Amino acid sequence: MKKFTKILAVVILLVIVLSQGCAKKSDSDTNQVKWTIGMSQCNLGEPWRVQMNADIKNAANEYEDIKVVFKDAQNDTLKQRSQMEEFISAGVDLIIISPKEAVPLTPVVAQAYQKGIPIIVLDRRVLGDKYTCFIGADNKKIGKATGKWIVEQLGGKGKIVELKGLMTSTPGQDRHSGFREGIKGSGIEIIFEADMKWLEPNARKEMESALARFETIDMVYAHNDPGAHGAYLAALAAGREKDIKFVGIDALPQEGQAYVAQGILAASFEYPTGGKEAIETALEILSGQNVEKEITLDSRCFTK
Amino acid sequence: MTDNTKSLLLKMSRISKSFGPVEVLADVNLDLYPGEVHILAGENGAGKSTLMKILGGVHTDYSGKIKIEGKETDFKSVQDATEAGVSIIHQELSLIGSLNVAENIFLGKEKSSYQWLDKSHMVEYSKGILKNFGLDIDPKRAVDEFPIGIQQMIEIAKALAFNAKIIVMDEPTSALTEPEVKKLFKIIDQLKEQGCSIVYITHKMEEIYSIADRITVLRDGEYIGTETAGNLPCEKLIQWMVGRELSQQFPRHTPHIGNVRLQANNIFVPAASTNPAPRVGNVSFSVKAGEILSIAGLQGSGNSELLNGIFGTYGKDTKGSVEIDGEKYKIDSPSKSIQRGLALLTNDRKSNGLVMDLSIIKNSTLACLPCYSRCFWLRPADERKAAKETTESLKLKAESLNQEVDSLSGGNQQKVVMAKWMQTNPKVLLLDEPTRGVDIGAKHEIYELMNQWTKDGIAIVLITSEMPELLAMSDRIMVMHRGKVTAQFSREEATQEKVLSAALGKRKPA
Amino acid sequence: MSKLLKIKNSSWMTSPTIRALGALIIVFVIGLIFNADGAFLKWGTHRDMLRAVSVYGLLACGMTLVIITGGIDLSVGSILGISAVSFSLFCIHFSWPFYIAIIACLLIGLACGAASGLIISRFNIQPFIATLAMMVFARGLAKWMSGGQKISTAVQQADGTYKYVPVPDVFNFINSKILWNNISVVTIIFLICLLVSAVLLIKLRPGRYIYAIGGNEEAARLSGVPVNAVKILTYAMSGLFCAVAGICQASQELQGDPEAGFTYELSAIAMVVIGGTSLRGGRGGIWLTLLGVLTIGYLEKILSINAVGEDKRLMLTGAIIVAAVLLQKTKK
Repeated sequence: MKKFTKILAVVILLVIVLSQGCAKKSDSDTNQVKWTIGMSQCNLGEPWRVQMNADIKNAANEYEDIKVVFKDAQNDTLKQRSQMEEFISAGVDLIIISPKEAVPLTPVVAQAYQKGIPIIVLDRRVLGDKYTCFIGADNKKIGKATGKWIVEQLGGKGKIVELKGLMTSTPGQDRHSGFREGIKGSGIEIIFEADMKWLEPNARKEMESALARFETIDMVYAHNDPGAHGAYLAALAAGREKDIKFVGIDALPQEGQAYVAQGILAASFEYPTGGKEAIETALEILSGQNVEKEITLDSRCFTK
Repeated sequence: MTDNTKSLLLKMSRISKSFGPVEVLADVNLDLYPGEVHILAGENGAGKSTLMKILGGVHTDYSGKIKIEGKETDFKSVQDATEAGVSIIHQELSLIGSLNVAENIFLGKEKSSYQWLDKSHMVEYSKGILKNFGLDIDPKRAVDEFPIGIQQMIEIAKALAFNAKIIVMDEPTSALTEPEVKKLFKIIDQLKEQGCSIVYITHKMEEIYSIADRITVLRDGEYIGTETAGNLPCEKLIQWMVGRELSQQFPRHTPHIGNVRLQANNIFVPAASTNPAPRVGNVSFSVKAGEILSIAGLQGSGNSELLNGIFGTYGKDTKGSVEIDGEKYKIDSPSKSIQRGLALLTNDRKSNGLVMDLSIIKNSTLACLPCYSRCFWLRPADERKAAKETTESLKLKAESLNQEVDSLSGGNQQKVVMAKWMQTNPKVLLLDEPTRGVDIGAKHEIYELMNQWTKDGIAIVLITSEMPELLAMSDRIMVMHRGKVTAQFSREEATQEKVLSAALGKRKPA
Repeated sequence: MSKLLKIKNSSWMTSPTIRALGALIIVFVIGLIFNADGAFLKWGTHRDMLRAVSVYGLLACGMTLVIITGGIDLSVGSILGISAVSFSLFCIHFSWPFYIAIIACLLIGLACGAASGLIISRFNIQPFIATLAMMVFARGLAKWMSGGQKISTAVQQADGTYKYVPVPDVFNFINSKILWNNISVVTIIFLICLLVSAVLLIKLRPGRYIYAIGGNEEAARLSGVPVNAVKILTYAMSGLFCAVAGICQASQELQGDPEAGFTYELSAIAMVVIGGTSLRGGRGGIWLTLLGVLTIGYLEKILSINAVGEDKRLMLTGAIIVAAVLLQKTKK
């Protein structure tokens, strides 16, 4: 009996593992499909990437003659590489990839490019130039824009709390350095800064500390909307939410944009996923047009 | 066979050792000539293992002299002993299952240059050694891939791999089949020819007389004597092993013996992983109210396993049926047995009898906590009261009933275990070595308790390795050897020699 | 140095409660010294610290029970995640009445915990491995239930736009403060669960069995203790407290995040260990855990109000955990 339960446990485990690893396929009509596009996503753990895939899917659904096959590498570089190889050997018409890391994935991207498969790199870069097109937003630019907006809003001077994203990650560093550049030369003073690692509960805790320490806080700049929301809740609990304004980045429709609409955030700067632009660029490529090598996405500023 | 002109290979003189106040060896002598098989005989607890551990460098704190080839030695570690040519083959396998054969053989003596292991050399050498034993196996395979008989041979090969001159074998054939035993004896002959000597410890009569040159007997830590095998026939050997004065200090009062309380039928306890033979094979017995039945046996006899099997320690693996006061039931688990009225006092209270971190009170109420908790809510006042009563009747001396049992003496610890079982109001009490590790005063108190319990109508099954206790306290004795019953004696019939004889395997003539 | 050791071994110092209290007092004094312009002296700081630490404290309650039996529960963070997602789904998307949503979440937590307990006791799998598997499985389940997104008051409609529903009252209640704004509701919830754990461990029969199993499982088994049943109960209680924690977390964030509770198990274990409950099992208690919770809570708060950089925080926290555990060691 013990042996049976052991085998049963192994079988259950196998089923779980296999079902996780199954490729996500979009269900669309195969009749009129002219073009098959492979989309290699590095992970679907981040809601922002879930949004990216959703944007791609929605954009693609407008066109009946393209079909998108989604593969999720679950944040595993080697898995993403082999999924790319699967796309290549399946002979897809175009690949969109949001790579986990640049160095390990550059060769396989180059491989596809040299085989004649057009390849769009989305959001994170690869090295070299063996790809058709890179589409992405610039965190430094966004940080700078946020800084300049805050300077304008506060009339050149004020006391700011900066709640940072994971400072060992590039977006965190860029949104920080960009912001500092944006407020350079003004009378904006950063009275309290902390690394909340992109997480809302952490941001709330750090904001509570800031509130305990400082009587006057004019504005809170958080590197992402969850962080700004956490800070808002802390201020709300302390009864000081009316005295402080909150700014975040990302502006996902159900998150940052919603917070702005509800009056929780004064502004949210979009960190666009580029999903829609990717499909539009893909169609241009597939119809034979030339496209720019570097497409930098604009970031909108959402205010009420 | 002994040549008095040849010089001695080993001379151990006046070896004495104590563990705290307890003296385990007193002025023991042992000597070996080269090329000799010397049997070291004695009951459990006679001191054989301790003596060998002193020889092997495990115990370094002893008095007396050890001379090897005329040179006085003072081993400070097992390493020292091994380098002097002493090699011990233990009863429990000391191989590491996950490592391969070569790694095990070279354990502690790895060949390396500048810490870089010379694996090919070690494998080659091992292969050669194993071949000498007629073992044609791949030294690169992990030890636990082989069956237990092969493992024991590997253990022997390991001990003999590095030119040992004095080899101690402690029950080496416990897991071997007949052909493997024959192989081993052939190897022993080879070793003798090479001038090596073997100290051989065994309980098996057949083996003793098949290979012994001389025999040394220990009893209760004392040196009794040494003789050639020819001059020490079986009955004399047994007499040397047990021949002590039986004092009349054991106050066994046999009360009125009533009806059968425990009936065990065809109890079968399957083999453990270390030994291919079943631990208990088809044993049946019964015990009456007020009676003490002892189950005698030497190590490996299966008596402890029999009691544990009946109690449900091994769960449903134990086959057979049990009846308590006429009600038959299937062996299931300890909690079911307790509900039926069985209680088992195990032979190792530290490992599975007491929860050392808990207090006296909490340990004593553990087996019947539902009695002291209504709807899961504990009633500490009731627990304390019950514990106080029970421990007083057991004459347990402790500073406070709240102290942890860890801080108590052995005798008092044993009393806490007894208190625990007394609170379950058992019908049948299984006692496995109840006076082990208990001082003489507490022992007598325990004997009195056993008298009282039987007077109250409880049936007792007793295991004890102390012969005087066995003979004095038992109303009946059942002897086991290698999982089977070899003899049964009534109180009047039993003598030390008869019991030991049966324990060594000699069946009682029908 | 030897004089210090001598003091350490005198009788009153060897009580685990005293030592845990000592660690807490030391941290408190550090806070008084480094009070960040008086921030540490305000009641609000302490109230906020309690609020923030309550969720971890809830996990630590269940973890204490499990550790005393000699086991460990690595899945606490993941079960918190499932509960946070479920609670938000039930209240915001399905509009269930709050008591039904709460009961459903608690049952989910109980079931996950009981499953772990079953695997550990019946199939004899080591707690580390069994709860590790549950940790991974439960996190996946949380992500599946939520579709990878946070369950918030922005509900996606069929046409892709978002409708904003008001925040359910129960969320606001749990997220609020009572007693003239002096104490958070989640802190009260934590203290209630602490009390429940204390009653279980000290006053009830299964609690005695938990200590016995942790102290010597084989001796307990041979004394007729229903070992398997008690183990399942223990892990189920842990799952229950995790579910409560998830409800509190969701209410405080006003959303159900499938990533909620990620790596929280480490904090929970640290709190139990610093409190003085031994990982070997058989010893310790829930009040010790409370001291450990407060010690770590204050430590984090002091580092936060002093805006200590992340790198220094990690190093300091690690060093202090080691120091606290060393202080706990008795010479046996």
